[in-house]
Amino acid sequence: MSSGTETRGTLAFAPDAASLDAALASLAEHGDAHDAALRREALARFEELPAPGARPSRGWKYDYAKLPYEDLAWTFGRVELPAIPPGPAVPPRARADETGDVDRPALATENAGGLYHLGATFVDAPGNVDPRVTLLPLDATTARDFAAQIEPALHHVVDWRADMFAALATAFRNCGAFVYVPAGVQVDLPLQLIFANGEARDEAVFPHVVVVLGKGARATVIERHVGDGDPFVCGIAEAHLAEGAELDYVAVQQAGEAARVMFSRGARCERDAQVRWHLAELGGALARTVLSARLEAPGARAEASALFFNTGTQHVDLTSGADHIVGPTFSDTVVRSAATGRGQGRYVGNIVIRPKAHGSDASLRDDALLLSKRAHIDSIPALEIAANDVKAFHGATVGSLDEDALFYAGSRGIARAEALRLITLGFFEPVIARFPGESLRDEIRTALDRKIDDATELGA
Amino acid sequence: MLGGSATLDGADLLELAPDKRAKAGLFLSFQYPAAIPGVSVANFIRTARQSVRPEDLNPAKFRKLVFDKLDTLDMDPAFLGRYVNDGFSGGEKKRLEMLQMAILAPKYAVLDETDSGLDVDALQSVGRSVNALRESDEGKDIGFLVITHYPRILKHIPADVVHVMIDGRIVKSGGPELADEIERDGYDGVRASTSSAQAEVAAARV
Repeated sequence: MSSGTETRGTLAFAPDAASLDAALASLAEHGDAHDAALRREALARFEELPAPGARPSRGWKYDYAKLPYEDLAWTFGRVELPAIPPGPAVPPRARADETGDVDRPALATENAGGLYHLGATFVDAPGNVDPRVTLLPLDATTARDFAAQIEPALHHVVDWRADMFAALATAFRNCGAFVYVPAGVQVDLPLQLIFANGEARDEAVFPHVVVVLGKGARATVIERHVGDGDPFVCGIAEAHLAEGAELDYVAVQQAGEAARVMFSRGARCERDAQVRWHLAELGGALARTVLSARLEAPGARAEASALFFNTGTQHVDLTSGADHIVGPTFSDTVVRSAATGRGQGRYVGNIVIRPKAHGSDASLRDDALLLSKRAHIDSIPALEIAANDVKAFHGATVGSLDEDALFYAGSRGIARAEALRLITLGFFEPVIARFPGESLRDEIRTALDRKIDDATELGA
Repeated sequence: MLGGSATLDGADLLELAPDKRAKAGLFLSFQYPAAIPGVSVANFIRTARQSVRPEDLNPAKFRKLVFDKLDTLDMDPAFLGRYVNDGFSGGEKKRLEMLQMAILAPKYAVLDETDSGLDVDALQSVGRSVNALRESDEGKDIGFLVITHYPRILKHIPADVVHVMIDGRIVKSGGPELADEIERDGYDGVRASTSSAQAEVAAARV
């Protein structure tokens, strides 16, 4: 299938110095070991940092300090696919909703190009990307050619020194992407970063995504995790938004059944810049996600919309953070989670309003739905407010399905199983509604619907 | 239930799950209908209609039916995009009940204190919707049971038969004139023959 060059190192992964030395030697062969010192420092940090998280529930079965890493290949490389002649452009779909009103032009994800990785191997296939955007694999060449643009973001947004998995990702980075949208450029078509894993080999994948938006730039980035394989994915995504920039960053995790996906995503927002996180954790056995935003100048705003639905024995561990460094800055976080079977979830919502953040407004709302007796979700809000004259709201609920609503739907002829489906999907709707584009929203609804189909124990 | 039986066209209602009762042709309009956040009215009524009558109506015809009924009920189509009863006023909830009744077109409709908490406009709207349904092809054979404490709803929904129920027992039956009588004299006349302080009027057209 590959027609072009293929450069690739492959070795057995372990989170230790010997494995990192071998990785660095392999990278050096291909001229990509310029940050060896930083990687070694990061591994040392990984080894000394405590396992993240607090108060695991009784049913929680993972210990971050003792995760197994056997039979995982660490690799990197690049495969060039022959150029596929572009098909006819499909116009973005305008959709009519149920009331007959036409929605704003949908962000047509089916048209969107981007970067594709199979495991840690970059698959170079031309896609439909706005020519004003720089979208490249994050390797030594990119780091050199775009040093000035990358500098404000790379290693400066997500604090890898403070989180063991961010440190591990920094040490063993073997793939990634750089997105640069120059000042004033507003991109309508989403940019997709696809991380796929096949069944052929289980890989340790350490992606590093860097997104830099110039003044007034606007873009939507969709990071996807898909495939049937069972990788260990441990990544970082860092975004820097200059004055007035707007970023919608979507992460849809639909990795294989036994996959473990750990990701730290962070954004720095300058004056009047806005970051909107949209997160759907749907796949994998264990997912741990950190979403954070540093609001560094007046007018900066962060929104986070996140959902997860744990079926079977899935575990999801989500932390969101909004750091109001100055005022007035704004944050708005909405999380909806559900679990059935023996699904386990944990949500930690952090809001920090620092002494100089007068006039700030922070809102945090999370609701959890437990659909079986052995499912469990913890909700742990943490508000730290050091400024006067601020508004901060927090609300959380953990509950089960509303029997009145089920009875009401039944009285209209809707059978219990169908009513369960409707009400469960409806529960997620406030978060789904905040995702950009009707085609993406429909995709999330469909994925949740399939999970309900698979969850035979629903309502048990 | 303390005793007795409840049957619908011979089927034992007490044996049936709520959705089976609806499929058997019974519609119950709730006094306090539950909210279903995140589920749009359009999605809900489409799912309900498909459940009750799986065979009929393609999407275009269903859409026409819905818009016809909205028109009859003088309801804004924006209603369809809202979440079921979520943040609805009392009047809006009752209108949604009427919209569902019109779309499901049951064999029997029980309107349980549908008039409670309604202002004059909302009450008129309920009356219009019931009457419009009674006059439609789909609705002409529907039996309505209107349960109320206040005869005023019967000004908007003319009853064929009026029953007065006290302590779970029908103590008096008559034609529409019985409602007029109660409106004029209060329940005192009926109450005089019983020891109960509470009376309900059940007006039926079966």
